[in-house]
Amino acid sequence: MRQIIKDRQVVADDWTYVGKEEAAGATRVVLPLADYLAVRAGGESPVPGAQVAVSLLPADDEQALKPYLADLPLIVVEFPSTAEGRGYTQARLLRERMGFQGELRAAGGVRLDQVFLLARCGFNAFDLAVGEKLEPAIAELERFSVAYQDGAGPLTHPRRRYDTGASSAR
Amino acid sequence: MYRYDNIDQTLVAERVAQFRDQTRRFLAGELSEDEFKPLRLRNGLYIQTHAPMLRVAIPYGLLSSRQLRMLAHLARKYDRDYGHFTTRQNLQYNWPKLEDVPDMLADLATVEMHAIQTSGNCIRNTTADHFAGIAPDEVDDPRPYCEIIRQWSTVHPEFNYLPRKFKIAVTGSPADRAASEVHDIGLHLKRGPDGEIGFEVLVGGGLGRTPIIGKVICDFLPREHLLSYLEAILRIYNQEGRRDNIYKARIKILVKALGIEAFREAVEAEWALIRDSGLKLEVAEIERMRSFFVPLPYETLADIDPTTGREPAFVAWYRHNTRAHKVPGYRAVIVSLKAPDIAPGDITATQMDELADLADRLSSGQLRATHDQNLILAEVRQQDLYEVWQGLVALTLATPNIGTLTDMICCPGLDFCSLANASSISIAKQINDRFTDVDYLYDLGHIEVKMSGCMNACGHHHVGHIGILGVDKRGEEWYQITLGGSASGISSLGTVIGPSVSKADVAETIAKILDVYVAERQEEESFLDAFRRIGVQPFSERVYAANH
Ligand code: HEM
Ligand code: SF4
Repeated sequence: MRQIIKDRQVVADDWTYVGKEEAAGATRVVLPLADYLAVRAGGESPVPGAQVAVSLLPADDEQALKPYLADLPLIVVEFPSTAEGRGYTQARLLRERMGFQGELRAAGGVRLDQVFLLARCGFNAFDLAVGEKLEPAIAELERFSVAYQDGAGPLTHPRRRYDTGASSAR
Repeated sequence: MYRYDNIDQTLVAERVAQFRDQTRRFLAGELSEDEFKPLRLRNGLYIQTHAPMLRVAIPYGLLSSRQLRMLAHLARKYDRDYGHFTTRQNLQYNWPKLEDVPDMLADLATVEMHAIQTSGNCIRNTTADHFAGIAPDEVDDPRPYCEIIRQWSTVHPEFNYLPRKFKIAVTGSPADRAASEVHDIGLHLKRGPDGEIGFEVLVGGGLGRTPIIGKVICDFLPREHLLSYLEAILRIYNQEGRRDNIYKARIKILVKALGIEAFREAVEAEWALIRDSGLKLEVAEIERMRSFFVPLPYETLADIDPTTGREPAFVAWYRHNTRAHKVPGYRAVIVSLKAPDIAPGDITATQMDELADLADRLSSGQLRATHDQNLILAEVRQQDLYEVWQGLVALTLATPNIGTLTDMICCPGLDFCSLANASSISIAKQINDRFTDVDYLYDLGHIEVKMSGCMNACGHHHVGHIGILGVDKRGEEWYQITLGGSASGISSLGTVIGPSVSKADVAETIAKILDVYVAERQEEESFLDAFRRIGVQPFSERVYAANH
């Protein structure tokens, strides 16, 4: 079974990516956006009876998920390459604007050098690129203890320095 | 100037640690060349013809003498005793060793400097008017806003993997000394209807293969909305910008494809949703940032004429290399990095150290880097100008050529850059060798020559009054010449005069162009104005006339 990072832990993942993995008999399946929307609109699931989640490609419009967010357990945001940057925006909009509370997973060309930024955008799960080691990636989530931007996570809120005079004149 | 607090210092230190680790993984074979590339680029490290090249950020061009001494130290310890100032107010080292770069970055951090996001597809160093804070015609000092942008853009979680690089310039004067209209975003400080401060916002300017002058997306943006508006623009760009073709990935192509109206609509719709979020700047934040840039405690002095009784060499330097200061009794000095026998923008470690001393002794202990590859001592008492001049003469940093033909902008070209078609530095030398009569140069007046070794346009050739572009013709170096470009005030892109000329003919071609100008100019008319009046034709006719 695939190992992923979720909430800073290595966990075994029992979701099946339909279209990429053999799905017959799967109990939990991740569908491409169009298929997912079709199922939610009353169409038949490609894996009848299985719990469904969705995956987004960079060009997909996350707004389409708005009606379903409350009972969506997982959204997988795909990064076909490490250079792909649209998923960062998709994640922030899903979390900050649309209030998605479930698992938000970055998958594909995700390397340990990206996980810090991804987590700041709201991802709490990472299905890393083939060959990438998981433990060092978890450590990488703590790479910076400060940040200039508001964002997901417990880091410095930029405004704090003005409110509290946190800036120490040296 | 801005001073780091513990948050800034911690961030920079953690970034150095991160890059040290990435470099170690690369050297240990855990990261491939391709995997390491985007990581090193985001820390200013290119791999070039001879060696890696490290680009150090000089935020909005402002440097303390202590920082300049550190740059000298790095040049000595890790490079070949010199550095190169770029057109974006950065400094490049051409010969560092890859394995030394983490140590160089750690050294830089000790003086509140870094190389974060000086390359790569992310938000780059924000540049500003090099006369910020002292220009008589300034609406407001752009630097506090630049520092606000610097912090917001540094390690921005959402915008580190943009379709392409992203450059922002801010200017506070109507005379645009930051080439802001050829940036991805140009911000012009101005006053609104009730005297409040804000920005005119331009978007989609840029040079490179497809030179475009930025378009106004917002006539007046109240300053408290600066970051939310930038975030809205960047978000639309990050989502909609092309990623399938590197040559079509800059925001200028997106703005052109959608049209400015549709692009504005998209940005405003996004902005409406975030304008009152945590990005809205509070007055206290802006004021705190402004407090770092308060004017010096100037002495009460009267304006004097420092040239009285002085030798002609000083008078020429005073005329060409100093500029007005808004405070009486003071003047700004431009330190020319354009001595005839050096590559434009180069400076040695010794020059850096001595210049730092001069800045401490006779100016404010600060310097500025200009986008035309010179330095500035911004706060010199007029009574000290003579002494400053003597100091600069001793350092060969007093070539009295600012604003003249030989004050050229020049990219590294074939000598250093693996992307180059042709050499630029040798052309700068050819021009210097051809035009040695300073009286002739002074008579020509203000002329901006800008030179790039390929169409990436690092030397801004499109906006040179005379632009020179290196092209490759069957393996030989040829040069295409454009006239009439400008990036200050009324921006324009240069017009090609005709077929490119061979390497041996560049200076001679320029001589012909100048002959036409001298013959055609009306009273006091500058080269650019004359060109705008008579057009390219008389120049082309002269240059391509069958052997006259
Ligand atoms: C030697 C290493 C360098 C390399 C490999 C390099 C590479 C590039 C490339 C590929 C572009 C075009 C990007 C695009 O159009 O999207 C570019 C643009 C630019 N470069 Fe460089 N460059 C180098 C050095 C410099 C230097 C020394 C300067 C300053 C003198 C400079 C200033 C610029 C500027 C201002 C642009 C922006 C032009 C625009 O707006 O499109 N670069 N560079
Ligand atoms: S203009 Fe071309 S040759 Fe010159 S530095 Fe830029 S990429 Fe290199």
